[in-house]
Amino acid sequence: MKITRSGSIAAFALIGTLALAGCAATGGTNTPSATPTSKVGLNAIDPSLTGTITAAGSSAQVAAQTGYSAAFASVATGVTLNYNPEGSGGGRKDFIAGALDFAGSDAPLSADEATQATATFPGGALDIPVYLDGVAIAYNNKDASSLNLSAATLAKIFSGKITDWSDPAIAADNGGKALAAKKITVVTRSDSSGTMQNLTNFLGGEAASDWAAGPNLGTLPQIPGMDLQKGGAAVATEIAAVDGAIGGVDHSALGSLVAASVEGVKLSNDGIAEAMATGFAIKPNSTPGDLSGGFDYAKIKADTKAYPIPLVSYAIIPAQFKDAAKKKLVVAYLEFIASADGQKAGATKANSAELPDAILKQVVATLATVK
Amino acid sequence: MTATPAAAANGGGPRNTGAPTGLAAMKVSKVGDRVFLGLSSGAAWLIMVVLAGVAIFLLIQAAPAIGANWQQNAALQDRTSGFTLGFANFWDYVSPLLFGTIWASFLALLLGAPVAIGIALFISHYAPRRVSGILGYLVDLLAAVPSVVFGLWGIVVIRPFLGPLNEFLNSYFGWIPLFSGDVAKGGSTLLAGAVVLAVMILPIITSISREIFLQTPSLHEEAALALGATRWEMIRLAVFPYARSGIISSVLLGLGRALGETMAIAMIVSPKLIFSVQLLTNDNPATIAANIANKFGGANQTQADALIATGLLLFVVSFAVNLVARWIVGRTSTGPRRRRIPTRKAA
Repeated sequence: MKITRSGSIAAFALIGTLALAGCAATGGTNTPSATPTSKVGLNAIDPSLTGTITAAGSSAQVAAQTGYSAAFASVATGVTLNYNPEGSGGGRKDFIAGALDFAGSDAPLSADEATQATATFPGGALDIPVYLDGVAIAYNNKDASSLNLSAATLAKIFSGKITDWSDPAIAADNGGKALAAKKITVVTRSDSSGTMQNLTNFLGGEAASDWAAGPNLGTLPQIPGMDLQKGGAAVATEIAAVDGAIGGVDHSALGSLVAASVEGVKLSNDGIAEAMATGFAIKPNSTPGDLSGGFDYAKIKADTKAYPIPLVSYAIIPAQFKDAAKKKLVVAYLEFIASADGQKAGATKANSAELPDAILKQVVATLATVK
Repeated sequence: MTATPAAAANGGGPRNTGAPTGLAAMKVSKVGDRVFLGLSSGAAWLIMVVLAGVAIFLLIQAAPAIGANWQQNAALQDRTSGFTLGFANFWDYVSPLLFGTIWASFLALLLGAPVAIGIALFISHYAPRRVSGILGYLVDLLAAVPSVVFGLWGIVVIRPFLGPLNEFLNSYFGWIPLFSGDVAKGGSTLLAGAVVLAVMILPIITSISREIFLQTPSLHEEAALALGATRWEMIRLAVFPYARSGIISSVLLGLGRALGETMAIAMIVSPKLIFSVQLLTNDNPATIAANIANKFGGANQTQADALIATGLLLFVVSFAVNLVARWIVGRTSTGPRRRRIPTRKAA
């Protein structure tokens, strides 16, 4: 797995050299005046950096990390990123155990985990937002070429209270037009996932009365007939194969599947960026400079252009590295991710949104404090 | 070479007591002998140490999770990975898994063992020599296929292939609890898992029973044929009684493999923590091994301990199965079996 990954990184690095050389040339001239955040960009990477960054965690981040690292390695050719997409929880666990340079995670460290991390890293750990995307509600029903679902209807579908496509609640969300009777098959992950955590955050935040299970759940509660598949890719494949299926998947894993509008907002990168700009609030943990945060779903609901189920994914790093060379390398890499060039490289590869400037500025400020 | 007379001189007594005297008689002077003795006994000890190490590791890791009060434990009630949420204690969590493990393995044996024994019989007693050689080789080759590949095969081929059968069984035999419920449209059923599992345990059952069948004394077989038995009667009268313990132990070894199979089940079957005997739905009981594979990545430390505790239970079950296999083999491997054939003939 790792060998292939580094191989593909090398391959992308080659492509990245060609493709992004152009971006750097044009972006570089505009940088000082137009976009203050890209003071650190492709042109600011130190080409003499060498070494391997070992990271693991969120599978939602894989494509973006491939994009970031390929662009980064196009300048600093001696740098390799080994990113193992073992899942957000696994990434946090391995990070706390001291096995990683950074963890990729769809959720920040919990209070408990942050305390555990201080045992390994005396200065504590920092959650740094690096990736913005959304959770798509993918469905397979040929009767509905487009579909809109409200938060309450989604909560009822995922908790097994609505079991048929002809349900009046679905018709009500779609201008009263009822669909033909067909059984709904809810497809979800059999392993824990950050995607489901973000989905349940939304359900718990916006449809609390219909979603008894509450927010922040890595696995959806079992309901009869629920179809569980291992991994996000298998969920997407299963939805494509099963007539009447519906489920939450990463936006970047959507592929050819059709995504429903949620609360009347179509899934788009602009909609996701809008939700980030309106609804994201930083609620730091005890480590100074921490940038973990959460969404205020009421604010997102009020904004008619914001896609209601955004997903922010973090890189979790120690506030105080034990190894100065490693610190230099990881901070340089994350600074690049926090630049306009970096965000573009990841978003192009993952087909995702880009983090807004306001957040990127804070990321750069926090990275400057890392020791 | 030189050891042969010494071994013969021991009169075939138990090896452990016989070996030192035998070796002493040979005057262990050759360096090669000493080195080999050291290496082989070292290997024997190593496996004991490894086994004990695994058991101790499992016990140490599992103990806190087994003993913990799950409802009061913040880490086990942690929502972010969520899978241990709401369980009262360890046994509450593990009992559906244990049921699922045994049920899935039983189904695999039910489907796989008769076919495997049939293949073994065909190879040993029916097929022409050349065909049997090739067939035996092919079946052994099945054992070399990684279980991830079986998993992919199950997803891509077996699940859609079983689709029509699922519908048929459900609509005509839905009154049997096994085939009741809502058919899984995607085909992630326990039946699909059991079929793939059955294929995976074929090679071990086939190769062991084939060897046993081949060892049937040809005098017995010829005697049966000479008394006018057809080939099937000969197999029934001479081969099966001789090979009975071998068949049982091969089946139990197959069961051991089925119990521990992870990846294929994790990929094919839609798992839940429930007690259910329905074969054709999305609501299938999860197995211990597949559950560990699914949940370990997202688990926090205490949840990981809980998963290791389920692994300990699987270890105990596999161990018990192997012990039973040994016991059966030991009980029937000598003596009475050979005498039974003539008495039956007489009757």
